[in-house]
Amino acid sequence: MKRWGITLSAVALCGALLYVLLQGFGRNPHEVPFMLSGKPAPSFTLRALDSGKAVSLEQFRGRPVVINFWASWCGPCRMEHPVLEWGAREFGGQAQFLGIVFEDTEDNARQFLQQLGASFPQLIDPRSRVSVDYGVAGVPETYFVDANGVILGKHVGPIDPQSLANRIRELSASGTAATTARP
Amino acid sequence: MTGQYAPQQAGSDPLAPALEARVQKLGKELRCAVCQGVSIADSPASMARAQLDMVRELVSQGKSDQEIIDYFVARYGEWVLLEPTREGFNWLVWLGPLLLVAGGAFVILRQIKQPPASAGATPAPPTPAPEAEDPYLQAVRRELE
Repeated sequence: MKRWGITLSAVALCGALLYVLLQGFGRNPHEVPFMLSGKPAPSFTLRALDSGKAVSLEQFRGRPVVINFWASWCGPCRMEHPVLEWGAREFGGQAQFLGIVFEDTEDNARQFLQQLGASFPQLIDPRSRVSVDYGVAGVPETYFVDANGVILGKHVGPIDPQSLANRIRELSASGTAATTARP
Repeated sequence: MTGQYAPQQAGSDPLAPALEARVQKLGKELRCAVCQGVSIADSPASMARAQLDMVRELVSQGKSDQEIIDYFVARYGEWVLLEPTREGFNWLVWLGPLLLVAGGAFVILRQIKQPPASAGATPAPPTPAPEAEDPYLQAVRRELE
């Protein structure tokens, strides 16, 4: 009887440890969880890279916003930029595209945009306050904020045209759902 | 052409020693988003520096330690904590190793307490017995005497 107790508790302990290990191995350790989905997007006012004017998130209230965090030193951002340029041209009527420069010098960022195009506003984030406020865990990352200022989700890594189009569709759907819900 | 790495930026200016000590202590508890199990206080990555700057900013705004931890958990989840919180299933992580050590000690103690019972019975010397009965060996011994 006593021996059974010991055996059972050992089995239970091993089972619990196995469960912990399975949880750990079943997950990509490089993946940082994202907790701001469905939460209001943190507000910001940042300086535009080209004009130097202040741009805030509030001024786009009522329109979906796509925010891309990037840097000139990031290789994948270089690959991704043409997709965003295309997206801003293609979906510019449905959503406002914004770029936020992460941990970079203004000269490098300007040079990057000269080479790859700047068809949507690019903002400078001193000391990466806004990036940390948004829970950025590396560049590139693209956030999708609906017309009511709620974060629908983010795309980690360089975005492809198909995912971008799908996300824009979700944004539009969420916007219309919100407007029809409002009397 | 621009480089492959983020340009190094110095961190924001340290606060008064007492507040800066809090910044560093909190920085040690928060996991850097782009590193492998390194705290933001220990990592040289630009992301970690940006996060530590944010801790400094929040401390200088007069936020409490718990509020600052909550700020990071709200963004990066419990993942950001290098020490899991002591609640719920997490207790296994804290108490599991202690339970294992206690269990091991219990088993060892039991073995030490009752050695003669088991040790006395089993290792009955098997070698001399067959020798004693071996007629040739007995003969040789007689010859030698």
